[in-house]
Amino acid sequence: MSCTILIVDDHPSFRASARVVLESEGFDVVGEAVDGASALQECCRLRPQVVLLDVQLPDTDGFRVCSEITSHAQHPIVIMTSSRDGSDFGPLVSTSGACGFVPKAELSGERVQELLGP
Amino acid sequence: MSGLRRALGLVAIQGIVVGLVALAIVLSSDHVEGKAASAALGLFLGWSWIGVGLYAWWRRPDNRFGVLMTAVGFAYFLGVLANADAPWLFTLGVIVSSLYLAVFAHMLLAYPEGRIESRRLRRVLAGGYTLSLVGPVPTLMFADSDRLGCECPESVILVADDDTLYRIFDGLTSALAVALVGYVLYVLVKRWQVASPPQRRAMAPVLWSGICLLVVLAGSLTSQAVDGPDAVYDATTLLGLVFFALTPYGFLFGLLRSRVLQAGAVTELLHRMGDAPDRSGLREMLSAALGDRSLQVVYWLEDKRRWVDAGGRPAMLPDADDPARATMRVERDGRAVGAILHDRTLCDDPELVRSVAAAAGLSIENERLQAQLRARVEELRASRARIVEASTAERRRLERDLHDGAQQRLVALSLTMRLAQTRLHKDPDAAEQLLGGAQEELAHALEELRELARGIHPAVLSDRGLGPALEALAGRSPVPVELDGTPPERLPAAVEAAAYFVVAEALTNVAKYAGASQARVCVSRSNGHAVVEIADDGVGGADPLRGSGLRGLADRVSALDGILKLNSPAGAGTLLRAEIPV
Repeated sequence: MSCTILIVDDHPSFRASARVVLESEGFDVVGEAVDGASALQECCRLRPQVVLLDVQLPDTDGFRVCSEITSHAQHPIVIMTSSRDGSDFGPLVSTSGACGFVPKAELSGERVQELLGP
Repeated sequence: MSGLRRALGLVAIQGIVVGLVALAIVLSSDHVEGKAASAALGLFLGWSWIGVGLYAWWRRPDNRFGVLMTAVGFAYFLGVLANADAPWLFTLGVIVSSLYLAVFAHMLLAYPEGRIESRRLRRVLAGGYTLSLVGPVPTLMFADSDRLGCECPESVILVADDDTLYRIFDGLTSALAVALVGYVLYVLVKRWQVASPPQRRAMAPVLWSGICLLVVLAGSLTSQAVDGPDAVYDATTLLGLVFFALTPYGFLFGLLRSRVLQAGAVTELLHRMGDAPDRSGLREMLSAALGDRSLQVVYWLEDKRRWVDAGGRPAMLPDADDPARATMRVERDGRAVGAILHDRTLCDDPELVRSVAAAAGLSIENERLQAQLRARVEELRASRARIVEASTAERRRLERDLHDGAQQRLVALSLTMRLAQTRLHKDPDAAEQLLGGAQEELAHALEELRELARGIHPAVLSDRGLGPALEALAGRSPVPVELDGTPPERLPAAVEAAAYFVVAEALTNVAKYAGASQARVCVSRSNGHAVVEIADDGVGGADPLRGSGLRGLADRVSALDGILKLNSPAGAGTLLRAEIPV
């Protein structure tokens, strides 16, 4: 069974590209969310195994959403993403409860799989 | 003025005549002891009050205080009728013999404004007048001349000599009088307590001699009521006369003192002006010269058309009907330079304030220039802060625009390209489709970058000058723009940039808010200035404070010592005009 994933980003062009990239590499994109509030809702409703979460959201900060998601027991694995470089965020990625960071331009199923581990 | 003088002359003649009649009554009386002394004292008192009263009346025709003082003198002469030998005149004289005290109390309560605003005080005063006239009546009805122990004529309204009734009424009258005098004293002391220092200085001579007389009067009435020894009664009567005589001279003294002080204050001020006062020094000096610690000096900035304090901060003048504060404007060569804001009591002595203002004119003019400079510095500080703030906001906006626009498109492009690469061999058709989408995405990204770069600084402006840059701007505007002309030669880069952004912001506003069918742009050179005008035929009513756009432009223009003017009457289009020195 393929891995289920939720994409959270306010830019439609990125959501569309990410969906194509991930689906072509065997992931099952079960949903998309455009901001922090709807991300939390969709997480509860769809129960994805992985959340690909943009750092900069229109209503809140992606790290805050990540902490919220990972505070529940049985939470999905969160992978942060941004068009900025990971080094711009310092220790925020590791302290927010996320499993790792992928720059948007380098997103691929392989990178996601690497972060998820064997 | 001559009308007033003639009227006062007539009153003076009446005063002289009334005094002479009183003199005749006393001298011809057969029941007065020490006729000559009594006549001389009476004449001196009556004429003192009338004379000083007329002087005060003449000095301040609008203030009824002088009228009241004069009235005290006439009322005092009226009481002399009690010295007449004819019984009915004597009776009338006794009835009105205390009237002058009621008028005196009226005068004290009305001091220094000359009128009584409080309704309660007016009622008390009416009671005082009534008591002064009704009070002696029981004595005239129930005591014959033997009981009164004088050789005066018999009262024409004597009903019967009755000791009990006489004592009851006399005691009652005295008690009421003591209560009234006590109340007036209370009001005067209260008034003294709340008065400001300049008010106290102005009120002191009259108020204190009046208060002393009232205290003595209260004592005399009390001793009368409790039937004290005659010696006490005589002594208090004498003391009362002394204070009564002193009051008009106290007033005169107050006037003269303010004259002398005025001359002294102005001399002292002129002397000290030479010591080059610093910022607070001028205020201190004027405050000392006028004896008003609350005094403030404000300065008029002609170019800004507003009042500022010494630090250059905006200041307000008190209203014309402000009960506590008043304004003396200071002019030099017919131009307003400043104003002295002072305690309203000083308005009683306008000459003093005027001469101090005249003496301080030059210093105030100098201080005004300083204040103007400080106001300018204050303005520069604020506009510099706004420029820094605007530049930070601008950088934030640029970062946001880059991140949300071109960067997102390039990220998507990168993903698409990688996908196309992986499919190139397996599925060439899909790869071709992906590359076509990527081409489109790239075109959008380039367009967004171009737009952004133009917003930072248009290359055509630095390369080709204002004319081509404005033509390009006009070409991109959604509202048709007619470019009326631009200077053929190049202007300094900063001026060209300011002019360009004024036009760019104005055209953005025209497109967003004006509802215009067309706009006209013109840049010309006139009197060493580059004049930029943008006019539209839209709805007008633009608010210069709306948004940060116009404010930022005004700062940008004023940084080059230029000015930005907005004329936007509702329904009649908008004209934005910038004048920048070249």
